[in-house]
Amino acid sequence: MESARAVSTPRLIQLAVASLLLGSLAGCASQSVEIRSLPPDTPAADNAAAALIATELAGALASESASTASAKDAAAPPLVTPADAPSMATYDPWARLNRFTYRFNARFDEAVFLRVANGYRRLPSPLRSGVHNFFGNLAEVDNIINYVLQARPIRGLRSAARLLINSTIGIGGLIDVAKQIKLPAAPTGVSATLATWGVHPGPYLVIPLVGPSTLRDGIGLVGDFGAAHAVNLANLYRGNESWYLEGVNLVDQRANVDFRYYASGSPFEYETLRFLYVRKRLIEDSGLRKFAQPRPARPEVPAGE
Amino acid sequence: MSKMPTRLVVCALLLSLSAAAFASAPADAPIVDASALPAAAGPPTGLADSAALRATVFGTPPQDMAPLPETVPLSEINIALPWARPVPAVYWFDRRLRVWISAQKKPAPLAIVIAGTGGDGNTSKLSILRGALYAAGYHVLTMPSPTFPGFIVSTSSTGVSGDLMQDSRDLYAAIVQILAKLPRRIQITDIDILGYSLGGANAAVVKSIDAGEHKLHIHRALMINPPVSLIESVSRLDKLFVTSIGPDDAAVERLYRQLYAQLANLYRASDKVELDESFLLGAAASVLKTDAEYSAAIALSFRLNLVDMFFAADLYTGAGVVTNPRHPPKVGDSLENAARRLRSMPFAAYFSRVFAPYYLKHRANATSASQIADNRLDIIADALRTDGDYYALTNSDDLILDAPELRWLQDTLGPRIVVYDHGGHLGNLGDRQQVKDMLEMLAGRWNLPAL
Repeated sequence: MESARAVSTPRLIQLAVASLLLGSLAGCASQSVEIRSLPPDTPAADNAAAALIATELAGALASESASTASAKDAAAPPLVTPADAPSMATYDPWARLNRFTYRFNARFDEAVFLRVANGYRRLPSPLRSGVHNFFGNLAEVDNIINYVLQARPIRGLRSAARLLINSTIGIGGLIDVAKQIKLPAAPTGVSATLATWGVHPGPYLVIPLVGPSTLRDGIGLVGDFGAAHAVNLANLYRGNESWYLEGVNLVDQRANVDFRYYASGSPFEYETLRFLYVRKRLIEDSGLRKFAQPRPARPEVPAGE
Repeated sequence: MSKMPTRLVVCALLLSLSAAAFASAPADAPIVDASALPAAAGPPTGLADSAALRATVFGTPPQDMAPLPETVPLSEINIALPWARPVPAVYWFDRRLRVWISAQKKPAPLAIVIAGTGGDGNTSKLSILRGALYAAGYHVLTMPSPTFPGFIVSTSSTGVSGDLMQDSRDLYAAIVQILAKLPRRIQITDIDILGYSLGGANAAVVKSIDAGEHKLHIHRALMINPPVSLIESVSRLDKLFVTSIGPDDAAVERLYRQLYAQLANLYRASDKVELDESFLLGAAASVLKTDAEYSAAIALSFRLNLVDMFFAADLYTGAGVVTNPRHPPKVGDSLENAARRLRSMPFAAYFSRVFAPYYLKHRANATSASQIADNRLDIIADALRTDGDYYALTNSDDLILDAPELRWLQDTLGPRIVVYDHGGHLGNLGDRQQVKDMLEMLAGRWNLPAL
């Protein structure tokens, strides 16, 4: 009896997961009306956040204009000209597969991922920010490794200091104390390291559950995952518990992204996201290689190749 | 998987670039048919001056915003409508109409709010109005514009959006269905309807339809920054696109290259590790500084909405402008060429190639001229003039109006319109005075003699 129960518990979990997956694939348009309760709207907080950004912006613009003169004298990186902009077309040789994965992601998100994330969003916000800070703190290990590989020791030291401070005074990373003493997070990763040494984004790639990416960013994800497991900070990445940990991390990540598949209602959403994602990454790459010889602009080559 | 978020974040953020920087207000510019007809006279920016363009792009400054509640309960309603047309394969995700409701716990009046051109039922502007109305004790139902692709597919009886009367009829029918399916615990004591931009015109026409059909007994209607002539307003935006961006796809590419270079240089000069939302907001403030840049942002944002309307109508009518009616695109097909061709097509092309032919065929005695006349608020002028339950709020520097149109609104509504000095198109939505006036109008307290 006892042994039977021991076997059946994981079975039940498997069944539950399988039925969730099936539900997501079957679609859910069976009833003519579906009413779904959402986390509450927060107009006051939204406006306060906008006001905060406006204040910071005003401060940044003021200090920027004050420091422009001196900054120009120091070796300023060469300016990007309109002719340097990548083609408006995007390198996407795996478009068929990518579109399929995008649709899968949209259905899975609607049926499972977003629902779980919306449930999580109802938890008290101190709890959620604790979870978020905790995972951000764990990621500092990967940041340190990659800043070293990028030959940016100052940034690496900053990440190390953050890890040290937040793990101790910040109670295991639950509180971002370092941010309050002017050491804000500066996440990086394997993909940024590759970009630093000149690796192009490569083909556009939609990753299951993750979403828009490129071949290089996909490899970077695997690298970040591997690095965290290899270092195995506080032995968190061994045993079955580590899967729960990754699960909570995923939900936390999803809950912090204000995006919903096909909220645009537009059949061009795949094209729009691909366009924006690859340009964003290319601009970030150019920030990592400010003084490198710019690639000759070749408008006939699609962006990312 | 520790860094998975960035990917989705990015998407959200960059969508908000098109939405924040560019779209702040323009997503709600007016709509509908313009064409071979009278090109809008005067400057393309209507009554707008530089401050008005700026307000249109950046919206109400946070510090001027009326107090809004901390939290507003929210549910979404996904509803399949019985008259829906067969859904084209590429719109598989748009089968059901999605609207949002915030319900009070006790019996209360219902405010129905309709988005502007191309907007869904949960835009940031709707969120502001929802907050103000909910705090004042209303149940709030927010609805997409009839020009939003999700509405066109799930709810439109034609697939050709932009006709003031037809769109409002579809909207009315959808509201009737939705209210019939609401849970019993939501007790409604009265119904008011409002909307911003094109949604304002839709709201007023919906009330006038209800006055004939008596299915809902809508009490008051409020238009916020409405167009008067949809065609004239849209002609202004076509013209704005040509003067601020250019006539063709080469001009669009030029704009893209400029923006890319500006963003890249700003990013390289910063020490940000990610091109994130706060960076983009800052970038918008320093990239968009001149009238020409504000104009380009407004025109581009409107054009992106038009691309979606145009594509849907082309597919539904089989007009064959960018899709092959014999071989409509399938799920998984690339739509890149269609998008590229549509982004350089003005509203005039939509009117002459899809909209006008469709309504000429389906409406007895219709002519191009009658279609233009039918898309003015004049079609409900009598009701606006004589029924004391229609109200409007607008600005003297709204770019979708010209002086005669503004005068027409004032003459027609008399004491039931407020015209603010500044704000451009929706650039004062949610500010203290505007919210105060909105609530007094909807509550029937407007212009009552002081006791």
